[in-house]
Amino acid sequence: MHKCDLDVEINKLSKIEGHADLDIKIRNGELKEVNLKVMENLRFFNQAVKGKAYNAVPQLVSRICGTCSIAHLTGCIEAVEKTLGVKISDQTMILRKLTIYSMMIRDHALHLYFFAMPDLLGIDSLLDVPEAKHDLIHDALAVKEAGNNLSELVAGRAVHAPFEQVGGFSHEIDEKKVPEIIEELKKIRPTVLKLIDIFFDCPWEFRRKTNFVALVTDDFSFLEGRIKSTSGFEIEEKDYMDHLRNVVLPYSQASGFEFEGKEYMVGSLARLNLNKENLHKNTRKDTAKYLERFPSENVYDNNLAQAIEILHSIDHSVELLENTSFHKEDPAKPEKLTGEGVGVIEAPRGTLYYWLGIEEGKISHFNLVIPTAQNLVNMKKDVEQIVSGFCATEIGKEDLEKNIKFEVSKLIRAYDPCMSCASHFLRVNWV
Amino acid sequence: MDQNTKKRVGIFSLTCDEGCSIFLTEIFNKKLLPWLEKMELVYFLSIKDKAEIKDLDVALVEGVVTSERDKEDIENIRANAKILIAMGTCAMTALPSGQRNNFNISQLKEIEGHLEKYNFLPKALALKDAVKVDDEIIGCPIDKNKFIEIFEKYL
Repeated sequence: MHKCDLDVEINKLSKIEGHADLDIKIRNGELKEVNLKVMENLRFFNQAVKGKAYNAVPQLVSRICGTCSIAHLTGCIEAVEKTLGVKISDQTMILRKLTIYSMMIRDHALHLYFFAMPDLLGIDSLLDVPEAKHDLIHDALAVKEAGNNLSELVAGRAVHAPFEQVGGFSHEIDEKKVPEIIEELKKIRPTVLKLIDIFFDCPWEFRRKTNFVALVTDDFSFLEGRIKSTSGFEIEEKDYMDHLRNVVLPYSQASGFEFEGKEYMVGSLARLNLNKENLHKNTRKDTAKYLERFPSENVYDNNLAQAIEILHSIDHSVELLENTSFHKEDPAKPEKLTGEGVGVIEAPRGTLYYWLGIEEGKISHFNLVIPTAQNLVNMKKDVEQIVSGFCATEIGKEDLEKNIKFEVSKLIRAYDPCMSCASHFLRVNWV
Repeated sequence: MDQNTKKRVGIFSLTCDEGCSIFLTEIFNKKLLPWLEKMELVYFLSIKDKAEIKDLDVALVEGVVTSERDKEDIENIRANAKILIAMGTCAMTALPSGQRNNFNISQLKEIEGHLEKYNFLPKALALKDAVKVDDEIIGCPIDKNKFIEIFEKYL
């Protein structure tokens, strides 16, 4: 074994959401330490929501995260509704599914084309793609725009959607625009199939035995179901927190979680591993070959899983838009103004848990568990395995530091982490 | 237009949810390709790693200045940019991301240890309270039409 001391520092990881640094220490040719540091400055949502009116809080927590604001909005609304006995209509449920799908399309597309694709093409940015592959830039913008336009139609905007509220939607769908949205969604379908094929052919591989956890829904709509794990647990939404343990990460403005005492992974890969049979029938038909890969323990198949989820979001949205006659509705009202409740949904990056206590219409207790925070421990252990692999075979070789940086950044990107979200974590001491 | 005459543009996120720059990537769906005729994106960590904060013609900055590190960052951006544009309500007014500014004593008590440990400033600042700002774009997230109108003035 070569004697080798090396400090690998990545300052501000790029092509992820939010700020994170990574420090790796190698001593005497062996991995000594990996520190994944979430560098987001806290904005103190845990304190800010206290005492706020129940119907103002969803728009406030939407500001936790720009890219998955719709997930925070929807998860919080669901928690308020369950707490206060608000019974939403069938139409509201349909609108909510469409809203979630619009987010999945544009959020996954941003990650796959702009964050993950450059590593696959060996370039820094999609904007540097050679002339011959310029179609990829057009594809990226067209898929994102279709998601963006669906958000605008249903929820008013893709970021901090103004129409989605406790009990219903404040604006009707403009029926005149529905046909053009359906047409746009159908038009990008072949583009998304091409994207699926690209990530199916991707040669990257990283495996480490772990546990996958997701909310399993009947129609793969990310909203209502039971939480399952590949290790065999099946849990009701309201009981999820009982199975989690908060783990402090040194030097970091965020903390991680363990499920049943062990690291785990949430997100698209977990959903495909646990629920692929409930994807839309058109998606299943056209991705049969790709779906055979799941269940998969290859972390990079998270990219393939996201691409398949874009297709499902398109297919189910088209079906819902074609078969619903939208009408004006007043929002459903609360039965009471005091209580406590849980809302769990699948956000783009995994299971999102909201717990609320409300007294006389004002928030008295608040807690949330963020997908990226749940993935942090798993991500850190994966990075440790990769670096240990380098230590075993690559010490003394050229470009060691550069290669470690590339492999580790690529792996972290496959998780599609969101550090803006991750810096908001369990805080129970203000009750 | 050749590379030398293209405007050098950087997009920066201080403390915030990055909703404005995410929404900007949605505005890009229709506008990126025409704008790339006139600009070069030299700094935007969301889509590229190679980052250069130097000789910027236009810096678009979202978020609030909440910590010493944010303050150093914004001063560095200002020193290297001809035009600095505050993007969104946080950058313009310090809210909502600087919501701690409005906390009561019991809320402040809960966060004081964290503020000290991570070198937060006494108050979260709007950009104009930290450096000179040349223009502002309102919205949470930025208003699409307002962004296009103001940004195109400087291209």
